[in-house]
Amino acid sequence: MGKRKLGALEKVEADLPNLQYKIRRDPMSYRENFVDQYNQYQSNYAIFVAAPSTSDNSSIISLKEYVDFVAHVADCYPGITKDFPQDLITLLEVHHADLEGELREKIVGSLVLLRNKDIIDSTLLLNTLFPLLITTSSKTLRAFLFSKIISDLRSSNVKSTNHKLNRSVQTLLHNLITSDRNSPKGLWAVKITRELWKRQIWTDSKAVEIMKEAALADSEKVIVGGVRFFLGGDKEREEALEDDSSDEEGVDMSKLRHQAGINKKSKKRSKDLRKAAASVKKDERKKNAPHPLNFSALHLLHDPQGFAEQLFNKHLLPQKSKLSLEHKLIVLQLVTRLVGLHQLTLVTLYSWFLKFLRPRQQSVTTYLACLAQATHAQVPPDLLTPCIQQIANEFVSEASASEVASAGLNAIRETCARQPLAMEDTLLQDLVMYRKSKDKGVVMAAKGLMSLYREKDPEKLKRRDRGKEAAMSLRSGEKKELRFGEQVTDENIAGIELLEAWKEEERLKRRAEKGLATDDEDSEDDVEKEDVAGWKNWDAESDDSDDSGGWIDVESDGEEIEISDSEDDRPSKKAKLDKAATATNGDKSKDSTGVDASPETKPEPEKKPSTFATTRILTPADLTKLRELQQSQNIAAKLPAGLRKKALTSSTLPPRHSDDPLTAAQIEGLSKFSHKSTKEEKIALAKADREDKHQSTTAKRKEKKRGEGKSTTNKEKAREKNFFMTLGKAKRKSKRSLGEARKVLKGHVYRSKHGGKRGNAGN
Amino acid sequence: MAKSAKARKEKKKDFAKPKLKVGKGRAKPTNATDTSFKARSISVLQQSLTAAAPSTSTQFTHHLNLLNHNSDTQRLQSLAYLTTSLHNTPTPPLPVSVILPKIVPLIRDTSNKVRSQLLLLLHELPPEDVKSNTEQLLLWTRLGLTHLSSSIRLSSLEVLEWLLNTAGNEVVACPGGWSKTLRCLAGLLGWDNTETVSSTGMRVSNSGRPGAGNWTSTPSTAGKSSGDVKLLTKTLSVLSLFLEVGLLPTLTEKSLLKTQEQSACRNFPLWHLEQHLLTQVSNPFGHLNLFGAPRDEEGMGYEDRGDRVRYFGERWRGTFLGGVDRVKREGGGVGRVAMGVEKVIIMGG
Repeated sequence: MGKRKLGALEKVEADLPNLQYKIRRDPMSYRENFVDQYNQYQSNYAIFVAAPSTSDNSSIISLKEYVDFVAHVADCYPGITKDFPQDLITLLEVHHADLEGELREKIVGSLVLLRNKDIIDSTLLLNTLFPLLITTSSKTLRAFLFSKIISDLRSSNVKSTNHKLNRSVQTLLHNLITSDRNSPKGLWAVKITRELWKRQIWTDSKAVEIMKEAALADSEKVIVGGVRFFLGGDKEREEALEDDSSDEEGVDMSKLRHQAGINKKSKKRSKDLRKAAASVKKDERKKNAPHPLNFSALHLLHDPQGFAEQLFNKHLLPQKSKLSLEHKLIVLQLVTRLVGLHQLTLVTLYSWFLKFLRPRQQSVTTYLACLAQATHAQVPPDLLTPCIQQIANEFVSEASASEVASAGLNAIRETCARQPLAMEDTLLQDLVMYRKSKDKGVVMAAKGLMSLYREKDPEKLKRRDRGKEAAMSLRSGEKKELRFGEQVTDENIAGIELLEAWKEEERLKRRAEKGLATDDEDSEDDVEKEDVAGWKNWDAESDDSDDSGGWIDVESDGEEIEISDSEDDRPSKKAKLDKAATATNGDKSKDSTGVDASPETKPEPEKKPSTFATTRILTPADLTKLRELQQSQNIAAKLPAGLRKKALTSSTLPPRHSDDPLTAAQIEGLSKFSHKSTKEEKIALAKADREDKHQSTTAKRKEKKRGEGKSTTNKEKAREKNFFMTLGKAKRKSKRSLGEARKVLKGHVYRSKHGGKRGNAGN
Repeated sequence: MAKSAKARKEKKKDFAKPKLKVGKGRAKPTNATDTSFKARSISVLQQSLTAAAPSTSTQFTHHLNLLNHNSDTQRLQSLAYLTTSLHNTPTPPLPVSVILPKIVPLIRDTSNKVRSQLLLLLHELPPEDVKSNTEQLLLWTRLGLTHLSSSIRLSSLEVLEWLLNTAGNEVVACPGGWSKTLRCLAGLLGWDNTETVSSTGMRVSNSGRPGAGNWTSTPSTAGKSSGDVKLLTKTLSVLSLFLEVGLLPTLTEKSLLKTQEQSACRNFPLWHLEQHLLTQVSNPFGHLNLFGAPRDEEGMGYEDRGDRVRYFGERWRGTFLGGVDRVKREGGGVGRVAMGVEKVIIMGG
């Protein structure tokens, strides 16, 4: 007879965790025991269901234990436990209000566990948890459910986007908001959507649609949630992304490898090293991966015009809107941003503004900023003129405080920068007079306005205020009269003239080498040869993502995006570019490297647009060169040159992206010059960018070296040698004979040549 | 080592041998009570001034509430009190439906003594009241039957035995009473993981993996301690009792049939007279399940003997016969009891 097979629990007196552990190891042998325990669970369940509210403590605890146990091993016995998930769901649905807290949490946790083991699907889980989230009155349970729902959605979208699940959940949330617009329950839809948006799990227009519905709800909380999402959701997403990438502290691979060489070798250590290498590689790949191309929520809106109109008519226009001022302001910010970004026409908005453009109005700077934000090139000047007139009358006067005046002027400037036609010349000339004011803030604001109009529409200024450049360009007929609705299109690729100049220069050089006349045309084959060289290995380059990386540059470059999708800032931007271009040209002419060799090819971009891009096909090599040139030009533009400074005076702020909102702080900006800062403020300002701890450069270098895990040089070691150890040598040194001294010197020379006593220089 | 000199000295004092002297009395212990004084009256700080002792019903409730006390001696004492008071009074001071929910959780009490005392208490309950509360009792009994600890299983088998003896017909007829208890007992005996032939003709075991059932063909008594064998014997005997009650026509049923025939003869023109009279059972429409959750095959009540026989024949008969056969071959006390089970099964059809 063979060896007797022992029953499962015969060996040890077992408890539930022990049994669980054993079942996981060998489900088949412990089946009987599981059946027993499952029966026990069922009895417990039946007893609990018979009297859910009056159950005593011990039976609740035992039910909790059994639920936990069965949930953990349910995947081993799918046949026996097929009713288990449904049991839990009914228990939760029917009795969630009077379940004991820990038991309730355990049930939810077990359901999530079953989902993770793929015993139930996500749809079922979410359909169970979501109604609970809305109905339950327990705060802890809500928080718990919320985190579980989010994590489940996250985990089911990890490998690939689970469109089916996402769609069903989005429909659920959408219905939640639209079914009862008065209830604050829609807040949960807002919360979930925002969280998933932040984590880049939902990036589609359906999610934006949910938030749109939320913004149009009747409950104040839901409205604010929806509006805040549009104003801050994208920024939050970007920050979360940056956090993610900055979180992983770089593992120092060389240090680890070094340690692995020194320390005792063990399986664990080698495994650790391998793991670290893999993670470093992964990080590297992640770093090189293209920036995820996500559209902002504002761009994903289906019907921005309708949305903006509805928002305005529902929340802002009615006198009896129940929103508080603060919330009204954020709604206004959203409406004006939509108007500015999508160039919408909302006629009533501007006359509505008139009511609020008074210095006494609470948070008036926000209103001013919103007005500027709502202005774009397609707004009829007739609508804006009364607003500007009102600002000028209410804010800008000798009687008003200087902060008020500067804020008013600033607001006028911001508005007029977007629609220069809104300004009347008499008013402008009056306002420009404020540059003679005593207050610095007012002076700067007035000067800003003046320089804006010098650039945009100098004819409205008095003759003596126009400045030299504007006057000359007026006389030459280069500055034409502005017309409403006129579109200025860019025919140029940014920086194309730089490329053209560079090409010409190269051609001249080559011809000079060959000894040909510089004016001759290239022979055809010469050009062809160059082209072939330019096309060489372009596809290899595009395959290899490590060293090209050019895609990323293009995407992250704000200016390109600006040019491609918005028109309102274009004139100023173009002017800036041109100025920068002239600045580089000036720089180049100062250089002695011979840019002067091609004076006739020096482009004059204002007069004739370059035909370079239209006459020939740019090779990939050309494109890389173009990028290079653009970058070098950008760097040049950052140099503190006189011209550059002049260009900067037109806009005191760094160039803004058109997607970025205009804030009240930017309107208030100049008023900081209007009041005298105290000593403390000055000190704080001066100290702001300084490190708190001073350290010498040597100390810094040393610390850095030590931080990198490197050792000191022999020289440094010698310097730190104990003084008493050197004393004897020094004493003897003076008494050395000539021969000895020679020998020592020779030895020193020898050692320094061979890199030390053992001569490790060569190898 | 003690910390200070004083502590050291005191420690030493504990072990110092007192010197006894001839002619002197023994030194008094330190905790001796001085009884030399006399007093007219003694006042006690706290005392109850009620003239009458607490009534039996309040005491009964008090002890009933003490049943979920932490200490098992307290539980035992309270149970004992309840038992004696039930024994002494013809009707219980509280309705049984109030007493039962308090005492049934003690079925899975950890203390052996408490559980045996509980059985005594259960014996004292009036059978009529037990009959109307069978379902609840059976629920807890099944909980005890599947408990991890074998001693709890054993004692709950005894509870089941008592229940079958007092309210056998109700036990097998109440919802879940027949099917679930059978499954429970089968699990206890390890007889439920047998193969069933699916409709396609393939042999499919309960666990979903073919052939899995073949592995557990060890004798049920092998390698088990005497306690386990005792448990097995007890289980088999209770099972035979259970099957007897469920499958075989009871004496009353037989006599009822006879009386029915007689009465049918007596009221000749009337047919099915008793079906038109008021019923004599407590819950005549229970099988309709008007207020509870919908039931599946498991939770259904099999009120009729024919239903029970049919269910048993379909679901368990084969496996039980197989299991009994295996145990029978082992002989001894276990085998004898198994013979009894087999007899009942065969008699039951």
